[in-house]
Amino acid sequence: MGMTGYVDFGYVTFIALGAYGMSLGITYFYQVEGLGIWIVFIGFLLALLLASLSALLEAFIALRLRGAYFAIACIGINEGLRHFIEGAKLWGGSEGLIFSGSLIQAVGRETANQLTTFWADLAVFIIAALAAFLNIHYMRSKIGYALTAVKEDEDAAKVMGVNTTKYKTIAFLTSGLLGASVGAVAWGLKLGYVFPGDVFVIHYTVECIVVVLLGGAGTLLGPVVGGLIYGLSKYWLAIIWPGFQLLIFAPIIIIIIVLFPEGVVGMLKNRVRGTALERYLL
Amino acid sequence: MSLLRLENVTKRFGGLLAVNNVSLELASGELIAIVGPNGAGKTTLFNVISGVFFPEEGKVIFEDRDITRLPAYRRAPLGLGRTFQIPRPFGSATVRENVAIGAMFGTLGSRINVDESLEMADRYIDLVGLQPHREKLAGNLTPVEKKMVEIARALAMKPKLLLMDEAMAGMNPKDIDYMVDLLIRIKEKEKIAIVAMVEHIMRAVAGLAKRVVVMHQGATFVDGPTADVLSDPRVIEVYLGGPSEKSKKDLVTNQTS
Repeated sequence: MGMTGYVDFGYVTFIALGAYGMSLGITYFYQVEGLGIWIVFIGFLLALLLASLSALLEAFIALRLRGAYFAIACIGINEGLRHFIEGAKLWGGSEGLIFSGSLIQAVGRETANQLTTFWADLAVFIIAALAAFLNIHYMRSKIGYALTAVKEDEDAAKVMGVNTTKYKTIAFLTSGLLGASVGAVAWGLKLGYVFPGDVFVIHYTVECIVVVLLGGAGTLLGPVVGGLIYGLSKYWLAIIWPGFQLLIFAPIIIIIIVLFPEGVVGMLKNRVRGTALERYLL
Repeated sequence: MSLLRLENVTKRFGGLLAVNNVSLELASGELIAIVGPNGAGKTTLFNVISGVFFPEEGKVIFEDRDITRLPAYRRAPLGLGRTFQIPRPFGSATVRENVAIGAMFGTLGSRINVDESLEMADRYIDLVGLQPHREKLAGNLTPVEKKMVEIARALAMKPKLLLMDEAMAGMNPKDIDYMVDLLIRIKEKEKIAIVAMVEHIMRAVAGLAKRVVVMHQGATFVDGPTADVLSDPRVIEVYLGGPSEKSKKDLVTNQTS
């Protein structure tokens, strides 16, 4: 999101499809003999496949719509998919898929426990590290420069020879695949069930966007800093003023966004530009 | 062999005939000026050449290759660079990064990596005189400086043809002189063809180009050596609405001075 300037309000779709991919893999393949623990990998592959399809669909829309229209279209995809799954009784419909039993049957209780606790948590850290690595790699390669050009002025970028379609697709695929990976392990594998009403929730996307904006869009540390500010203050307020936390939280966020329109890290980055500290703050 | 050839190019916006049956030929390394009053179709013609719009009729031929329907991003690697009427640098990137983007996706394309692009950027930043602003964000520069960023960015693409949209609009006489001098230096040093669009600064046109094309109501109206074109009574009529002895005399003295 930070790199292309396209705010993806349907980001949770990727997470949801990741969770569904994992659930489908385990639900439909647990009885196949000899697969054992490989069903988790099948689930993971399905998650990536579903997310790729939806990322390509969003990239296709992003070729035609910009700004707020794009955001609305992405919300549309998210809500559409959710109601389609519920209405068409696809993949268990609104009753969802509950696969913790199937997982135990396939790999045994001991392994299933380890998978849903230790390995699922470890995988989230690995994915976060991978995301950070990709982010650094993109920022320093031609992809990063191309995406900056796309964000600032798509028409100028095209005239400069930037294949905007290609780079937007790369951006959407990367973000979709990372989102689906998190969905597959943290929401799918870890919980052992998936309900459409639980995963296709726009609220989570909004939280993600607030976190990114707080920290600074297009920076590496931004989302981490934003996440810390958001998470800590939200829970702290919930403890000291239970029930009023959102009422107080909203103005705080508004104040921060007004004071630091480029995010906390974005503001720091501008402060240190040209000094020796610059290298340490991407 | 001509570098760029337009054959009977026509572009309409609904009922408006923006470019009407324009044919034009340009040799490698040639510097020409396109002049014409507001709404004459100059920018639309530029957009057709650089691929922002496709024409309804006619052909755009670049180095014997028909590029009429080629998307903009595939024209740049062939050697077509341009600047915009209102400068459009990538504001959140530094001047150096802006120019490097030109190098990365221009004619050198896959043959140049990020570090080489940044080095090449420095060379063109020096050429346009932006060294003191190298690490500044392009969005924080003055309009004239932004224009220079665009020129450096387009040059870093190593184009064979540079299209300059409104090369000197809104500039003071000192900047105009600098720009004329810069464009001539670029032509000599980079050995590229330049089409500079100038709205109504005739003094600059006389010092800049040996050949001038006048556009009026979407069509090329007069095309020829600068001195002849600027004293052409039809051109004076287009600009001033009617022939007058004084204006004729002014133009002639301007171009000889």
